[in-house]
Amino acid sequence: MDGNNGFFTGMRICASGLTAERERMDVIAENLANARTTRTPDGGPYRRKIVLFEPILAEVEGEERAQGVKATHVGVDRVTDFERVLDPGHPDAGPDGMVVYPNVNTVMEMADLITAMRAYEANLTAQENFVRMAERALDLLR
Amino acid sequence: MQTDPVGLMVRLLGSCELRARVVSANIANSNTPGYVRQVVRFEDLLREELQDGGDAVAVLPELAPDLETPSRPDGNNVSLELELNAMRENRLLYEAYSSILRSHFSLLESAISEGR
Repeated sequence: MDGNNGFFTGMRICASGLTAERERMDVIAENLANARTTRTPDGGPYRRKIVLFEPILAEVEGEERAQGVKATHVGVDRVTDFERVLDPGHPDAGPDGMVVYPNVNTVMEMADLITAMRAYEANLTAQENFVRMAERALDLLR
Repeated sequence: MQTDPVGLMVRLLGSCELRARVVSANIANSNTPGYVRQVVRFEDLLREELQDGGDAVAVLPELAPDLETPSRPDGNNVSLELELNAMRENRLLYEAYSSILRSHFSLLESAISEGR
């Protein structure tokens, strides 16, 4: 409606931030819920999921600018090692008596969750800021 | 050199709006790997121009990456506290500029209506 300028663009930038952080929080919640899942439908323990963020780029006044953020896709963490615990009595123990647990570090997930929540709140504050500025601009018309 | 006051205020308001969008883009990308924080300069460019005795009409807002603030391991250098502070400052400037513009218009209005 107003091209790539104006208050609505600003609000949309904030909305993209809210969406991306929300998706991140959803993935963190899934990791936490499955932190001890030793058996998945495809076999083997649950693998930690990670969300990849990229800026949304748009051309404004002849140059490329970041106009928000996008959670481009949910990937699987293949770098972090699984946790191996000796527990021969466990139903999912291997022939060596070792049980393979997911590569989810609960403390790290919680830290990521807090970061995501703070960013979410900051995006919300920024969005409210645009509403206030637009109200002030409308005052000029009175 | 006479500067058109309304034109200047409108440009100041415009640069505040641009700054608000840029700060929001920084906040939205606070967790994006490799993202470098962007800043908008206008008021200090204006001050420099006026100190050199130039014309305020020629000054335009500038968008530039902040290469001085150090990055975290993932290459991102956005600090939420800094951005939220920048947003609040910008808001106050916007309020101030729009107040000045509004009182300029009401002054004109009363001059036109001859104080009736």
